[in-house]
Amino acid sequence: MASKNGIDRRDEDEVCPVCKSSRYLNPNMRFLINPECYHKMCESCVDRIFSSGPASCPVAGCRKTLRKNRFRQQTFEDIGVEREVDIRRRVMHILNRREEEFDSKRAYDDFLEQREEIIANLVCRIDVAKTEAQLQAYAQENMQSIKANQALEEQEATSFQKKILLEQEETRMRQQIAREEYESERREQQATREDFLTRLASGSAADAAAIAREGHKVHLKKSSARRSEEDRIRQKQAALRGTEVKRTGTPLTTADTAGSTPGAGFIKGLRKIKTPEPEKPYDPFMGLVPGKRDYYTQLESYPYAFLDKLRSDLTVQAGGYDLQEYYSRTLLEAFAGLGCFVQEEVAKRDAISALGISKPASTEGAAMAAVGKNAA
Amino acid sequence: MALSPFASRSPSVTVASPSSALRLKAAATHHAPGQAVTAKSDPNPERELTEQLNDDVRRKYVKGKKLGEGTYAIVYLGHFRDDPSSCVAIKKIKVNAEYKDGLTMDAIREVKYLQELSHRNVIALHDVFSSKDQNLNLVLEFLPGGDLEMLIKDGDIHYGVGDVKAWMGMLARGVWFCHENFVLHRDIKPNNLLIAADGEVKLADFGLARSFADPYLNMTHQVITRWYRPPELLFGAKQYSGAVDVWSMGMVFAELLLRVPLLAGMSDLDQISKICEAFGTPTEENWPGVTQLANYVTDKAVPLRGREFFLQQFPTAGPVGADLLMSMCVLDPRKRATALQVLQHKWWATEPRPTKNEDLPRKSGTKKMGDDLARRGGETDDGPFKNAARQLDFGGMK
Amino acid sequence: MIEDDIYRTSSQFRLWSYTESSLKSLRTKTNHIASERVRAALRRARERHASSTPSATGTPQTGSDVEEKDIECLTPEEELVLVRYYCEKTVELGETYRPPLPTNVRVSLPTTGFTQRLEPFFLRGQPKLTSITYQATAIQYLRRFYLTNSPMTYHPKSIMACALFLATKTDNYYMSLRQFAEGIPGDTTADDVIAPEFLLMQGLRFTFDVRHPFRSLEGGVMELSAIAQGQAKPAPHLPHHTPESLKQGLLSIAPPPVPSTSITDRIGRAHGATRELLKSAAQMTDAYFLYTPSQIWLAALLLADRPLAEFYLDTKLGGPIDPTAMETEPSNLQNPLYDLRTKLLQVLTDCGALLQSYTPLSSDPDQMKILKRIAKKLYHCQNPEKVNLKRDSAVPRSTPAIDAGAVTSESETERLAKKRKLEMEQKQRGAHDMFGPELVLDRTRH
Repeated sequence: MASKNGIDRRDEDEVCPVCKSSRYLNPNMRFLINPECYHKMCESCVDRIFSSGPASCPVAGCRKTLRKNRFRQQTFEDIGVEREVDIRRRVMHILNRREEEFDSKRAYDDFLEQREEIIANLVCRIDVAKTEAQLQAYAQENMQSIKANQALEEQEATSFQKKILLEQEETRMRQQIAREEYESERREQQATREDFLTRLASGSAADAAAIAREGHKVHLKKSSARRSEEDRIRQKQAALRGTEVKRTGTPLTTADTAGSTPGAGFIKGLRKIKTPEPEKPYDPFMGLVPGKRDYYTQLESYPYAFLDKLRSDLTVQAGGYDLQEYYSRTLLEAFAGLGCFVQEEVAKRDAISALGISKPASTEGAAMAAVGKNAA
Repeated sequence: MALSPFASRSPSVTVASPSSALRLKAAATHHAPGQAVTAKSDPNPERELTEQLNDDVRRKYVKGKKLGEGTYAIVYLGHFRDDPSSCVAIKKIKVNAEYKDGLTMDAIREVKYLQELSHRNVIALHDVFSSKDQNLNLVLEFLPGGDLEMLIKDGDIHYGVGDVKAWMGMLARGVWFCHENFVLHRDIKPNNLLIAADGEVKLADFGLARSFADPYLNMTHQVITRWYRPPELLFGAKQYSGAVDVWSMGMVFAELLLRVPLLAGMSDLDQISKICEAFGTPTEENWPGVTQLANYVTDKAVPLRGREFFLQQFPTAGPVGADLLMSMCVLDPRKRATALQVLQHKWWATEPRPTKNEDLPRKSGTKKMGDDLARRGGETDDGPFKNAARQLDFGGMK
Repeated sequence: MIEDDIYRTSSQFRLWSYTESSLKSLRTKTNHIASERVRAALRRARERHASSTPSATGTPQTGSDVEEKDIECLTPEEELVLVRYYCEKTVELGETYRPPLPTNVRVSLPTTGFTQRLEPFFLRGQPKLTSITYQATAIQYLRRFYLTNSPMTYHPKSIMACALFLATKTDNYYMSLRQFAEGIPGDTTADDVIAPEFLLMQGLRFTFDVRHPFRSLEGGVMELSAIAQGQAKPAPHLPHHTPESLKQGLLSIAPPPVPSTSITDRIGRAHGATRELLKSAAQMTDAYFLYTPSQIWLAALLLADRPLAEFYLDTKLGGPIDPTAMETEPSNLQNPLYDLRTKLLQVLTDCGALLQSYTPLSSDPDQMKILKRIAKKLYHCQNPEKVNLKRDSAVPRSTPAIDAGAVTSESETERLAKKRKLEMEQKQRGAHDMFGPELVLDRTRH
C-alpha cells in the first residue's frame, strides 16, 4: 500500500491546473482526481464546478462528464499507477471467477492470463471500446455468478478476519494458561518443598529416601498432565479450522449456468455447473408414459359377437372381469413386434456378443457375464 | 403403455441367445474336437449343447453363505464370478419329493413371469440354472432391506405420510407394470414387498401370478392371502381383473397408515363380515350381480361407508389420501380404481412430497432376505391363517 | 414404435429369435456334438462287450462288421424332419386326449359357431380342457428343446408328452399328472411323462412364456370388425383418417379370393383361414424363430385375403407412394412410415412364403417314406446312454440336496453316467418298444 506520505510530501509549488492557485498561497489545498479522466484539480474547483450537478471536465480537450461524488484523493503519486489500480479493481470485480470453477489448473491459468490481457488493453487503451463491450456483456450475462463470487470473497475476507482474531485469542489464552499453570506449579513446588523439609526434619532417616521419591513422582505427573492439556488445545484448534473450511468450501452451488450462456464463450474451460434445478414435480410413472401406442387407438368397446355373451353375463360382470383389459391385450399382441426385424436385429446382437469370442475358452463364462453386465 | 424396454434389464437379457453363446462354445470346441475343453471345471468336454449353455450360466455366479432355508427353498448369498463386490441372491428350489407332478406351480409361475417382467419395482430375475440333483437355481436381485411388514411391525421405527407415499408409489408402479404386461400378482401383502439397499420397494414372490384378460376362462378364486383378499374372490368369482391386486394394495395402504392389518379375518367368512363392517355390506344396489356369485353370503346389513368414514379413520393420509384409499377399497370391482388410475390420482402431487429413497426409514434389525424367501412356499410363520393361499391344492386350479 | 419395444423385452425375442443362418449353424452344432457323443457311447458299449461275456447280444451295434465302421448318424435336416413329425403328433395327442376332468376345472364355453372357430383345438364339441394356445406352446417347447438337443440323444417320443404336460402347467390349464397320464392313449405311465421334465426345462433355458399369434389375430379381427361398422379410430400416426373414411376404404377394396356375401362374412372367412394357417404352418415351420407374432399373423392374413390384409396394413402404416407425385414430394413427406412399410412388406412376403411351404408330413406319402427311413436310421444311432430318462430323474431325487458352495457337479454327473451305463445294458436286452421305431409303423397304419 502506498502511504499517504507520498502525497503529503507535497510540492510547495504545485498549481491547480484549473484555477491556477498554488499551494504556496494556500497550504491547505487538496488535490482530487476523478477516475473518468484522472485530471487533477483542487478541492475548491471541484466544489465550484460540480456542486450543482454533473458537468464536463474543465481541462481543455477533455469532454468527460464528471460527478462530484466520484472525486477522490489520489492514492499513488503516479497517476498512471492510480489509473491501472482502478482498472484492475474494476475488471477483477467483474471477472471474478474462482479456481474451483474451472475444469483444470490450466484452464484457470488461461483465464488469469486473459484477465491480465484485458486489463493491459484497458490500461494501454488498445481496443478499449471492444474490450469494454465484452466486459459489459459478460457482466450482464453472469450477474448472478459475479454476485455470488463477490459474496464469497466477502465472506472469505470476514472469516479470515475472524480466524485471525480467533488465533490471537487462542494464543492469548494459551499464554495465560501457561502462565497460570506455571504460577500454580511454582506455588505447589514451593509448598511441597516446605512440606518435604518439614517431614524430613520431623521424620526418621529411613523415611527420607521414600519421601524424596514421592516428591519426584508428583512432579512427573504434573508435567504429563500439562502435556495432555496442550494436546487437547491443539486438537480443538484443528477442529475449529476444519469447520471453518467446511463452511466456506461450498461455492459451486450458487454459481449460475455460465456453462450454457452465450457469454460462456468469453471464458473458456469453465466447469459445467449443474445448477440445482428447482425440484421437478413427483412423477408417479417415473418417466413411463401410460397408454402410449403407435399402431392403433383403442376404443371403449368393440362390436364382436363372440364377446356378446360375456357382456350380458352378470356373474362375469360382478366378478370384475373387464373387457377393456381383453381389448388392450389383443390389440397390443396384434402389433407388438410388428416393426422388430428379427433377421436384422438379431444379427446385430450376435455380432456384438461375438466380440467376446477372442477370449480364451476358459474364461468364456466370465466373458459372457461381462458382456451381460456391460449391456445391462 | 410406454414401458421402456431399456429400463434396467437383468443381465439375462444379454445372457446371449443360445446362438451367440454357442459361438463362444463353438470357438472352444472346434479348435480341439474331442479333446478336453480348456475350462478346468469341465472334465467332460462332450456335454450336450444344452448342458454347456446351462454351465455357462452357472459359472457366471459364485454361491456364498446360506441366508435362509425353508421347506421348499434355500437362499444363498452369491455374486458374479468376475465381480466379487456384486450381490445376488441364489434361491435354490428343492425338489419336492411329495409333489409327484414335477416342478411345482409356484416355481413355474415365478420363473415364467419374472423372465418376462423387467421393472424397477419388480424383483429382477438375473438368470436361472440347474445344479446337480436337478435343482433349480434362481439368481435373483439381492434385496437386503427386509420387507414392508418388518417396518410396519417394528415399533422403534417411526415413519410419516411422506414415507407411506413413497412406498405406495413404488408398489403402485410395480403393480401397474405387471398389469400392463397382463400379469396378475395375486399375493400382494407387506411381506412380499421387499426393500432394496437403496430403499426401493420391489414386488416379489410371483408364485401365484398368472396372465389374465382372456374371456370365458376361469381362474381360481383361492388366491391372495386372506387379509388382503378382495370381496369378489371371497364370494368365489372365477372371472376377475386387475382390480383384485388393487384391493390388496388398498389393504397395504391402510396397514401402512394404521400399523396393524386393517381387516384380519379369522376365516373366509369372518373376513367377509369384517369387510362388511368396515366398508358396508355388498348388495345388488351397490354391486349389481353380486348375489349371483357362487359364495355370496352376508350376515348383517351395514350401509355403505361414505367419504367421512375414510377421513375419520385415516386422518394421517389427509383428505386427498383418504379419497385415494377409498377408491381402492370400493366393493364392486368394476368401480374400484385401476392401478393406472391409482397412479393418476392427485394425492401424489399434494403435500408432503414422497420421501426420497435415501431418506426412507430402514429396518433396524439384521434380518436377511433369505428369511423372507425361505419362508414362502407353504410354511406358516404367522399362525394358521397368514399363508392360507400357500396351502392351495393346485390340482383344483386352471 | 412403442409396441415393438415392448416385444423386445420378451424372452421370445431375447433368447428365441434367430437369423436364418444362426439357426442353421446352431442345429448343425447340436447335431455335431450329439453325433460325436453317440459314436463315443457306442464305442464304449462295444469295448465293454468285448471285455465282458459275449452274452449281451441282440442289439444291432454288436455285430463285428458294425464294430469296424462308424455308425451313421442323423443329419441336421433329418433331425428336423423327425422333430416336425413329432410336433404333428403332439397336436394329434392333444386332440385325441381325453383326460377325466374334475368338474370344477371344466371351462364353461359358449357353443356358438363363432366360438368354436375361435377354439381350434376344441374338438368334437366336447367341453375339453384345451385352449387355443396350450398345444401350440407344447409344440414350441419341442422345437426350442431340439435346437440344443438332438433326437439321437433324447427321442422325441419320450419328450412329447412331457412337453404337453409342462404346457398345461405353464399355460394355467393344470391338472394332476395322474389325470394327464390316464388320458394319454397307450401304456404311457405318469413316470414316463414326468421323467424328462427337468431336462426339457433346461433345454428351454427356463423360459416358459411363448408369444403366440392367436390372440394377435383376435385383436386384428376385432379392429377390422370395428372398421366395418364405421366405429374405428384412426391410428396415432395417420390422424387424417376418420371412422367413415376407414369404413369406405374397407368397402371399396378388391374382391376376396372366395366370394362373400358381406364384409362381415369376408372378415369371418379370412379369420378362419388365417387361424388354420397359424395352428398348422406357423407351428410346424421355423416361423416363431424367425419372425414376431404380429408379423406371423399378418403374413397369414395376407395369404388368406390379400386385399383385406393390405388395406389393414395401410391403415396402420400409410398407403403406397404415388410415383407421379415423387417429383414434388419425396417419399418421407408423403408417408413418414414408408421405409418401415417397405421393409415390413418384404418380411411379410418372406414369412408368407415360409408358411406356404408347409405341407403336413402325414398327408404326403413321399415324406412319410423319408420319415420311415429316418426312423430306422435313428434306431441304430440312438444314444444308448440316454435311453432311460426315468433313471435320470429318479436317482438324484432320492439323494439329499446338499450343495457346499461349488455350483458345479461333475462327480455327480459321472456317477450318474456310470449308473446309466449299467441300466442301458439291461434296457438293450429288453428291446424297449416304447422308444423303438414301432411308433412310426403304428402311425402309418393309422
